[in-house]
Amino acid sequence: MTTEPGSVRVLLVEDSTLVVDALRLLLEETGHEVSAAFTVRQAVELARAERPDVILLDLTLGRENGLDVLAELARTGSMPPVAVALTGHDDPQSHERCIAAGCRDVLTKPIRPLELPRLIRDWLAEAGGARESSSSDPAA
Amino acid sequence: MPRTLDDEMATEQRLSALQEQNLQLARTIAELRNQDALKTQFLSNISHDLRTPLTAIITHAEILRDGILGSLDERQSESISSIISGGRQLLGMVNEILTYARGEANQLSLSRSEITIESVIEQVSAMSESLIARKGHSLSVDIEPGLPPIAADRDKITHVIANLLGNAIDFTPPGGRVWIAARMAPESENGQAILIEVGDTGIGIAPEHFDLVFREFAQVDASASRSHHGTGLGLAIAHKFVELHGGRIWLESSVGVGSRFYFTIPVRSAA
Repeated sequence: MTTEPGSVRVLLVEDSTLVVDALRLLLEETGHEVSAAFTVRQAVELARAERPDVILLDLTLGRENGLDVLAELARTGSMPPVAVALTGHDDPQSHERCIAAGCRDVLTKPIRPLELPRLIRDWLAEAGGARESSSSDPAA
Repeated sequence: MPRTLDDEMATEQRLSALQEQNLQLARTIAELRNQDALKTQFLSNISHDLRTPLTAIITHAEILRDGILGSLDERQSESISSIISGGRQLLGMVNEILTYARGEANQLSLSRSEITIESVIEQVSAMSESLIARKGHSLSVDIEPGLPPIAADRDKITHVIANLLGNAIDFTPPGGRVWIAARMAPESENGQAILIEVGDTGIGIAPEHFDLVFREFAQVDASASRSHHGTGLGLAIAHKFVELHGGRIWLESSVGVGSRFYFTIPVRSAA
């Protein structure tokens, strides 16, 4: 499916290609532009290069900790407007850790497909309109 | 009779043999503990790894069901819905195993907030409505007015009550009575606590199995358990969750008459 100009850009950070394929299908079919990273380093590079509006971040990337992506982006002032943790870890400690690391929300996988596009709209609205903040980007 | 040198040597030999045996026992115990911890770690790893493909399967099926890739006819919808409910049931079991493994490894913690037991019971009864109706049971709820709020982990208390109610529904023949009650527990040296009771007019449990039901993987009656497709971990987890809150869980039951499960949650927690 082709994405419309000005569509919301989402960076998926997730080490399972099975889960990436499912979420990519969902997000592209609902009009988002999607890229995917499988490691912390890839995620940091893509986030800097593509300036996504939203990062959806798995907590466990093989042996790496997904939240390290946010720590690195925060350190270099390149945090996206919205970062959200996608996790199977539903224990309260990881929830608190995610919020402390700068996540706007923590979603437990599997996400309800109809919910995700609506949540993305809400998060971006709360973040104060991501399109304006990234309008200098030629792709916008 | 005076002790001879031979006697003393014999005693010393026995002593040293006993010491050696003790040492071996200690080694065996340490080894068994180690193997048990490895098994728990395996359970934790495997359930974590099982969740990933399950998540993908469920997400794809829900994308289809929700018409995101185009509309489905009625039979296609039904088929997809069955994939989803099977997948979610499996995921629930995998999560249960993971929770159990975390509990065994002392990796569970509480996220406490001020809650009322009334709101939790209302939520659980609402969730169980369709299941109750399907089995033709009647559910009654009796909450003592004016119960104080408690500092507790809402999700975990919900899990305990839902688990007890789920068992009550499952192990009661159609048309039975199930109930939830909450009241102040008799004051004890540990201070004030709320007592929650979940009861049924079901098949009951023999007294010799009272302790067994709270143990992991326990299935008291294989034929009854077969119609109740669970992991056998539900009550072990409930036990753990109640313990984490500083409460106590126990049961009264008679075979063919029914069961009553009780647990307490301290009003002011020491933690």
